Amino acid sequence: MFAKFFHTCRAKGLSVALSEWLTLQEALEKGLAGSSLTQFYYLARMILVKSETEFDKFDLAFEECFRGISSENEIADRMLEWLDKSEMEELAQEDARRFLNETEELQIDRQDVEEKFRQRLKDQDSEHNGGSFWIGTMGKTSFGNLGGNIGGVRVGGKTGYQSAFAVVGARKYRDFRDDRVLDNRQFMAAFRKLRQFSARLDVPRTELDIPGTVDRTCENGGFLQIVMEKPRKNAVKLLLLFDSGGTMIPYSSLMNDLFQAVHKSNHFKDVKCYYFHNCIYSKLYKTPECENGDWVDTEWVFRNLDGDYKVIVVGDAAMAPEELFSDTGNYRGPNGGLSGWEWLRLLKRHYKKIVWLNPKMAPKRMPWREAETAIGDLLPMYRLTVEGLNLAMTELMRGK
Amino acid sequence: MNDTFQSTKGYVASRQLLDSVNVAIALQKPLLIKGEPGTGKTMLAEAVAQSLGKRLIVWNIKSTTKAQDGLYLYDTIQRLYDGQFGEEGVDDISRYIRLGKLGEAFAADEQAVLLIDEIDKADLEFPNDLLWELDQMEFYIHETKRTVKAKHRPIVIITSNAEKELPDAFLRRCIFHYIDFPDEELMEEIVRAHFPQVEETLLREAMAAFYEIRSFRDVRKKPSTSELIDWIRALQIGGIAPDRIRSQLPFLGVIVKKDEDLETIRHKV
Repeated sequence: MFAKFFHTCRAKGLSVALSEWLTLQEALEKGLAGSSLTQFYYLARMILVKSETEFDKFDLAFEECFRGISSENEIADRMLEWLDKSEMEELAQEDARRFLNETEELQIDRQDVEEKFRQRLKDQDSEHNGGSFWIGTMGKTSFGNLGGNIGGVRVGGKTGYQSAFAVVGARKYRDFRDDRVLDNRQFMAAFRKLRQFSARLDVPRTELDIPGTVDRTCENGGFLQIVMEKPRKNAVKLLLLFDSGGTMIPYSSLMNDLFQAVHKSNHFKDVKCYYFHNCIYSKLYKTPECENGDWVDTEWVFRNLDGDYKVIVVGDAAMAPEELFSDTGNYRGPNGGLSGWEWLRLLKRHYKKIVWLNPKMAPKRMPWREAETAIGDLLPMYRLTVEGLNLAMTELMRGK
Repeated sequence: MNDTFQSTKGYVASRQLLDSVNVAIALQKPLLIKGEPGTGKTMLAEAVAQSLGKRLIVWNIKSTTKAQDGLYLYDTIQRLYDGQFGEEGVDDISRYIRLGKLGEAFAADEQAVLLIDEIDKADLEFPNDLLWELDQMEFYIHETKRTVKAKHRPIVIITSNAEKELPDAFLRRCIFHYIDFPDEELMEEIVRAHFPQVEETLLREAMAAFYEIRSFRDVRKKPSTSELIDWIRALQIGGIAPDRIRSQLPFLGVIVKKDEDLETIRHKV
């Protein structure tokens, strides 16, 4: 069961490493889980999970493995199973006895412990011949006293914790999952990935390398020897293309955040931003309103912004397939006789790195979202979430 | 027990946070703390040091900080000057080795609490460069061929604002705790820790207004614990009548820092 928890965590997408798992074992051996499942929950979480975005996955894994334990019927069976498999069976008798006493006190103190639970404990006594030993065992092993404590937890928290399952059930960390749609600050954090310090050989050495100068001067017996170095500047240039209006209106505040984030991230060599409606045609608009005439030729953009620009297209790719593949384009603006599909292919041919971010990407290839599927095949498409944006930024920075 | 961390007079921690600290101490692993700004990440280290009666060593990380800075610095410039003016002992390099914050914590005669504050400010490689030092608690000074080894493993507390992803290898060695935004009960306790004499109605009204402001969805920068504390201080000093707090929101600028948020709230209230 313990090993199962490990595998369940991994199956839920937590990248738990063996070293962390061993740390958890060590912690259990030191008795840091105290005597309750709830404390075990927090202990396991603080050791195995390293980001609040993954708490939710952990909650789900925990729930899957230990859910049954919250109902009395299974406590004892599960616990025995647990004890059999755990490697921490050796017990110190005095510890065991101490715990037994505690347990008894606990039961006397707590009059509101459910009758059913007590009944179950008694059943266990008879079933397992020598309840004291049985509970004693639990006292020693880190999980053992689970039984007693689940009762305690259920009754209302001797430990001052919420019950583990109350915590798990609430799924309060769902909002931290990194596949949710994101906010401004997270955008900025993701854009920080877009850094590439120019190490081009043809750049002149124009900056004074102070540590180098000092070192060389010292080596030179104190006579000044100046060392120059090449400036380190971010060489990334960005071209942003936003879908505007129509089906994108619900996402306007998200688009606004993204736009702000790019402009606040002032580490780019250059940022250019244009708008389009549904799909890219022969004109790109200068403003989100997409007014007729307030535009530049898409070909002008191709000519003036070279292939080194990294292109981020943001749009929901929601259009009828007829529109994407039609030679007559859509009702707004000219299309230069080429379909949106052709324009996208031109874009792809010109720019080395393009990603498409989609705020409402369908989870799979949906038959009614044919245009999205087609575009997704042409350009790498990511959902506009923390996870998606990070993947997209990594894709943009990856070498060919 | 003396060797476990407990809430101090000025710092109220949740049970889970106390446990995280104590687990990290027991397992001798660095404790990584994340959380909304203003939830007391940095103050935690002070409280730990105070509660355990240990010395606190703070290493503030900036965007230019390098891992080496925390270990030691070889003061070549001083040596150069000394050399030019014919000072004595220029040939003794160890005179020009200055220990960094991490080195200081290692060299301390008693166990210290080391706070590595805002580790995510530094370059992406920074945490990885410290793996060996934090694991083995030792480093090597090339210039003097000396190894500095921790006499007592310091208690290491690391804070992060999640500006950058931290590398996996680094994370795997840490105990992680995310400081949740305190619920009203804990918040009241925190405020009382700061203002033991606070007037009941003032506290109640201010808390109600504070949580109401936090609940507005269109407020961009939500006020946090430290801002609430500043606000209550301002209200006390200003001698504001408690019944005016929620209707007029005096000194709103103390808790809400953005112009557009101020407008949104004024509009709503």
